[in-house]
Amino acid sequence: MAGDAVVRDETVDVGDGRLRLHVKVAGNGPPLVYLHPLFGLAWDPFLDKLATRHTVYAPEHPGTSPGEPRAIDQVQTFWELLLCYEELVRGLGLDRPAALGQSYGGMVAADLAANFPPLFSRLVLLSPFGLWRDDAPIPLMEMVAGPPEDLPKYLFADPHGDAARAAMAPPEDPALIPAAIAQQAWNVGCTTKFAWPIADHGLGRRLHRVAAPTLVAWGRQDALAPVAYAAQFGRSIAGSRVEIIDDCGHVVQADQPEAVWTLVSAFLAE
Amino acid sequence: MKVSLFEQVPYRYLPAGFEDQYSSAVTPPYHIVDPARMQESVFSAYAELVHGARAGFDGIVVTEHSQSSYDMSPNPTLLAYAVACAAQAEGLDTAITILGRSLGKTREPLKIAEEYALLDCVSGGRLIAGFPVGLSYDANLNASLPAIETRERAREHRELILKAWSAPDPFPWNGRYEKYGQVNVWPRPIQQPHPPVWIPGTGTPGTLRDILRNDFGFVYLSWDGPKLVGREVFDRYWAMAEEMGRDRNPYRLAFVQVAAVAETDERAEKEYAEHLMALYHGGLGAIPGTAMAVPGYVEPAAIEAMLRAGGPAGMLARMKTATFKDIVDTQVAIVGSPATVADQIEAFVREFRVGNLLIMLQNGSMPRDLTEKNISLFAEQVLPRLRPIWDDEGWVNHWWPKAGVAARPDAGAGEGEA
Repeated sequence: MAGDAVVRDETVDVGDGRLRLHVKVAGNGPPLVYLHPLFGLAWDPFLDKLATRHTVYAPEHPGTSPGEPRAIDQVQTFWELLLCYEELVRGLGLDRPAALGQSYGGMVAADLAANFPPLFSRLVLLSPFGLWRDDAPIPLMEMVAGPPEDLPKYLFADPHGDAARAAMAPPEDPALIPAAIAQQAWNVGCTTKFAWPIADHGLGRRLHRVAAPTLVAWGRQDALAPVAYAAQFGRSIAGSRVEIIDDCGHVVQADQPEAVWTLVSAFLAE
Repeated sequence: MKVSLFEQVPYRYLPAGFEDQYSSAVTPPYHIVDPARMQESVFSAYAELVHGARAGFDGIVVTEHSQSSYDMSPNPTLLAYAVACAAQAEGLDTAITILGRSLGKTREPLKIAEEYALLDCVSGGRLIAGFPVGLSYDANLNASLPAIETRERAREHRELILKAWSAPDPFPWNGRYEKYGQVNVWPRPIQQPHPPVWIPGTGTPGTLRDILRNDFGFVYLSWDGPKLVGREVFDRYWAMAEEMGRDRNPYRLAFVQVAAVAETDERAEKEYAEHLMALYHGGLGAIPGTAMAVPGYVEPAAIEAMLRAGGPAGMLARMKTATFKDIVDTQVAIVGSPATVADQIEAFVREFRVGNLLIMLQNGSMPRDLTEKNISLFAEQVLPRLRPIWDDEGWVNHWWPKAGVAARPDAGAGEGEA
């Protein structure tokens, strides 16, 4: 199944025409908006699976679309970013899509749902950022400014395992490596614009507004966003479900693809 | 030409093997510090700069870094102010250059406008205003500002400061990053509409274009010496200057050079090598490479070009393991007798048309007595050979303070050098 989805590009103008958002679209079925993590949009096997049951709309964060790095300048604040995505959902003509966000994208999805309660029909948050506790610091700055070879230890339960190796593999063609590294660094620059140095925009004071049925999934071994945050999301969002996944780090769908797919697909089908 | 004494403020007593365990920026652990030795380290920087002013350097230069063991100068205005007052008290015509307060890092740009203006006043109009964007680790890690906004912030802050210095009346500022209701800086600089502006940088085309368009001074601040990247950067600069219709006035250009002078070449190596290597190994070389470009600080095209070229240009990436021979062969530091040092400096100054030279004579663990010897020998035996270099071409140094107010408050007006 993986790799089968035919992915097409769409664009939507938002922000009174100042910004053109690029959206990857694939699959069939009820609409689902996927909001990617810090490193940019990578169409992975998990998205392929989602596309077997949904029409997946995966916007590229402003500034991360290749060739348009300065598009990020058109979004000045996190609040404007939320407005852009809300306009995007309307611009795509989607009627109450489901939303799924991971990590940084989870923070964006949760805040969209808190700001615009009727926007999403269901909400899936995979180890989302957005909250901060002094007893569970999120080492975002250490990871982003640290050596690239340290990334796996923040992201995967087993930094030397297959999931980490597959995710960290450079492009097969060596000629493409410099551009890939440069693009990924810029992607992180674009997303951290709204997550730096601490990804807390006050979401904790808005989460109670989320009205969509919500699934929160977290890896028990998450070394970036500690699992302690899962319960806080669960408490704040009325009626939400919290699932803690064993032997699993921050990138849950890479570390435990079957378990995460089972949870997510069942929840979305309810 | 004008020759200024450039000085950073390192902790001079790093334990052996520091660089194997720690970074010199952002996270150097403070438990290694002895308070008495800290006092000595920071006071020596002041004393050496005053020594340099007395010895006849045309100016002094200081820089800003936070959370760093190699330059403990979180607000260089403090140190510069002390030196400026000492120079005033002694009637010295010493330019005061801050290279400078980091514009991409500050959360209070009006403080910079005020402090620079105060310095220009107390020094009698001898300030050179350095306007750096700021290093990535300083702006994005220490000050924790989003990397992708660094340059945009710096641009807005520069515009605000320049306006604040010369606007006749209070004005509102509705910027992207700053909002003020009534900007009205007291005092304003003596030099109007503003002191000479120098922009330090590593010579990227975007920076050079901005400098030339505004007719600011360019300070090539690289630590790489003239040999490694000098040709590329200076050629690019002068070609762009010609394209943009600017003249070939060498005073447009300033350059930072590390040097160490002793009676003979052999003695220079013997006396200075260990201290210089402390700078390169435990200071500059121990700044983590990743901290120099937090994601978002550099555009993707520039990162890609750097990777295709096989890594960062120059010496910085390999300073931690460089040998003394590497350092002197590449002229990252120019070390030797007065004749050796003068010959090497004169050659590259003429070749690249450098009109303002910034000489760094305290390095790493170098103690105050040795530093002051270095300063004295340079001032007595090297500086006289450099000073007349551009005289025959007859250029005016528009990037130097006008010093319209006397150095000594009781000495009457008009004795400053134009």
